[in-house]
Amino acid sequence: MQKRLFGILASVAVIVAACGGATSSSAPPASAAAPGGSEAPAASATPVASAANLADQQILHIDLGQEPPTLDPDKAQDSTSISVLHGLNRGLVFFDKDLNIVPALAAKMPEISSDAKTLTFTLKDGLKYSNGDPILAKDFVYGIKRTLDPRLAAPYAYVLAEMEGANDLLALAGKDPAPSDADIQKLLDKVGISAPDDKTVVVKLATPAAYFLDVLALWIAVPVEESWITKPNATEAANYVSSGPFVLDKWAHNSQIVLKPNPNWSGDVKPTLTEIDMSMTTEPAQAQAAYEAGELDMVQTPSEDVTRVKADPTLGPQVVDLKQLGVTYYTFNNGIDPKTLKPFAKCADPKKCPTANKDFRIALTQAIDKKAFIDATFAGVGEPASSIVMPGIPGYQPDLDPYPFNLDQAKQHMTAALAALGVPDAASLGKLKFGFNSGAGHEPRVAFLAEAWKQAFGLQTEQIGSDFAVFLQQRTAGQYDLARDGWNADYPHANNQLGLFVCGGGNNDSQYCNPDFDALMKQAAAETDATKATALYNQAQTIVMNDAAVLPLRFQTVTYEVQPYVKGITSTPSDSQLPGDVFYETIQIEKH
Amino acid sequence: MIAYIVRRILWIIPVLFTVSIITFFLMHAVPGGPWDRDKALPKATVDRLNAKYGLDDPVYVQYITWATKFVQGDLGPSYRYTDRTVNEIVADGFWTTVQLGVMAFILAVVVGVPLGIFAALGHNRGPDYLATSVSIVGIATPSFVLSILLIVFFAVQLGWFPTGGWKGPQYWVLPTIALAGFPIAIIARYTRASMLEVTRKDYIRTAHSKGLPGQSVVSRHMIRNALIPVITILGPTLAFLVTGSFIIERIFGIPGMGQFYITSISTRDYSLLMAMTMLYAFAVAFLNVVVDVLYAYIDPRIRYS
Repeated sequence: MQKRLFGILASVAVIVAACGGATSSSAPPASAAAPGGSEAPAASATPVASAANLADQQILHIDLGQEPPTLDPDKAQDSTSISVLHGLNRGLVFFDKDLNIVPALAAKMPEISSDAKTLTFTLKDGLKYSNGDPILAKDFVYGIKRTLDPRLAAPYAYVLAEMEGANDLLALAGKDPAPSDADIQKLLDKVGISAPDDKTVVVKLATPAAYFLDVLALWIAVPVEESWITKPNATEAANYVSSGPFVLDKWAHNSQIVLKPNPNWSGDVKPTLTEIDMSMTTEPAQAQAAYEAGELDMVQTPSEDVTRVKADPTLGPQVVDLKQLGVTYYTFNNGIDPKTLKPFAKCADPKKCPTANKDFRIALTQAIDKKAFIDATFAGVGEPASSIVMPGIPGYQPDLDPYPFNLDQAKQHMTAALAALGVPDAASLGKLKFGFNSGAGHEPRVAFLAEAWKQAFGLQTEQIGSDFAVFLQQRTAGQYDLARDGWNADYPHANNQLGLFVCGGGNNDSQYCNPDFDALMKQAAAETDATKATALYNQAQTIVMNDAAVLPLRFQTVTYEVQPYVKGITSTPSDSQLPGDVFYETIQIEKH
Repeated sequence: MIAYIVRRILWIIPVLFTVSIITFFLMHAVPGGPWDRDKALPKATVDRLNAKYGLDDPVYVQYITWATKFVQGDLGPSYRYTDRTVNEIVADGFWTTVQLGVMAFILAVVVGVPLGIFAALGHNRGPDYLATSVSIVGIATPSFVLSILLIVFFAVQLGWFPTGGWKGPQYWVLPTIALAGFPIAIIARYTRASMLEVTRKDYIRTAHSKGLPGQSVVSRHMIRNALIPVITILGPTLAFLVTGSFIIERIFGIPGMGQFYITSISTRDYSLLMAMTMLYAFAVAFLNVVVDVLYAYIDPRIRYS
């Protein structure tokens, strides 16, 4: 018991960090589907309880970690909101447990025209919203057009860019003077989605896009009843109209959300749960304490508690490690100014931009023992990474590791780099700027890397911890030599990961530009044969890794604790908050 | 007296004006904006959002827009919780925070003042050492440590109270104690010091020598005089408590508004940040006026004109 006490006390350190102002909400989650038959991490489902074994009270207690910023499906972009929306709404198609696309509110998969640009969906019979109104084809049209409407300013509108007419609307952003309502309406009328009758939805694409069915499975493509969403306070519990397995029964802001089964839910799997009780604990140590006190049925284990929890005789067996489509890496500044797409002016003196030197980057890469890094700073949770495309995505290259940990080779590369830079030793380079966002647990990782480089080469770094927004801006502008970074897949496709290195791209935090790489990326995007496209993406990734553009460190695994009586969890790599939160309707509570 | 109070209250207006100007321009001088994400949003999306919320106007124009609405009681839209206005968000958390703050304040006064008196009366003897130790521990223990200790012992181990949340009286106990810990210690120390000073005054010796019973000297002469400095700190303490504590609300998962002091800054939720700053500025300024007025009631020597 004493061990547990000190474990919880150790969490205090995190709170101190948190008080520095860290509420970095992470970006859009991995929420689209893996193409069928891909080597996605095996989706697992815990065995279902037999009816006799079910507990009388089918209430699931979970924690969201924060107040969802919105429950308006067209406006959501963060993992907390999406986690709740997965329970409340469904679109024409959805995922199955292996993340294949399957019909949801549509009666069957769409008819696709021969040019692959027109998709025709037919709705199931007798669909109803939670308020009893019929779900009509025009509600899908309304939802999509609303998302694209610049007056709503929906952050995720851009994923619809492949639709006919969508780009004209997206281009209206920031126009001065602002376009008139009539002009916007004209463009909205031209968007490639229509409802010829109450049960048919026709989607027209500007270019064939094989992945567009995945987009239609996202939370932004659910039916939205106009008479509902235009009401004031539409997303409050009293007014909420849902099309999914659950309804919003209660939303006490910053405190609690309660979901209850939707009596009008048309899906094959009806929820066994009679209630999902979601709290909003922003402090991970408190959520962990609540789990240990029996108030929560699942919790994400705070990283500083992982070692203690795994060793605990009671808690240890409750641990579930879930691989996620995420990679932790650190960027090198490769020296290209994102504003001009030419080398930074200061790099005229190579000493000022040591990380623009390839040998220098290779030396830093080979000086890091990734396994030791993970053991020391992630409690050993996660797999060492040597590429950006992660396992589970077509195009993952398990054998790609041009620069493994090797101190001798690292020193040779450093010697070559120093000669090219014209300095006698690494210390004469002065302090390299090493940026990270403070208060989010990155401090020990930054310290580990800085220390490893200091011991290997005598390299000095200035570790600059900044407020999240400030850090992001500095990193994008290339004001650091080294910086913390990470990526979670938006959709399981190599294009999403490798897009990080396209010259001038919005997320090119490594200031990397290589025309050969860019050419391969273009070629791969245009390739319709999936196998050939994957081969091209592999070639492209090999170029980036051979250039040592970034330092990949770890493929992410998240540790959760789940009470043994929670059954029927369908966990997938797309879970945004907790195991199985894409499919709340399959969860059951066993007698305990 | 009335004229004095009115004058003091009117002075709050220029104070708030100055605070708002400084905060507004500082806030916009900080790099970053409400749409920053680890994964950058497309530039067109950011433009669209900026245009929608008027963030593409010059800062002084934005200030005028904000100030005009503020005077009319409109605190603006939240950039983080886009379906809700700042008025709704503040109104939601306000009473929870005030309730917690007032409970902690009462606890702090009820425990802190007697503790200080107890220490002073037993000066340099057992009671003093005991009370002083308690208050030093109270000052030296940050509230998050106290909170976690309370959670570990009373919620996880003993199971007497829930670990967090805000659904009924049993949820109030631990956060109130955690929030009151520091003010208890401060109030006890002020009271002790002030009592000791009063003890050496001539009028106390006079009271004793004219044969008044000890109890009556303490209650009628010492405590009343000793409380003046204590009241000085009660104003800011109350202002601090009723506007909420980021740490306590975060650790106990309390749906108050204290958390927004920090989160509104890191998410660059400009209108929420302005609302929180103005609220805190008003609370401090107003409670200082209240304290000054209270002086006059407690100390007949103080008169305002």
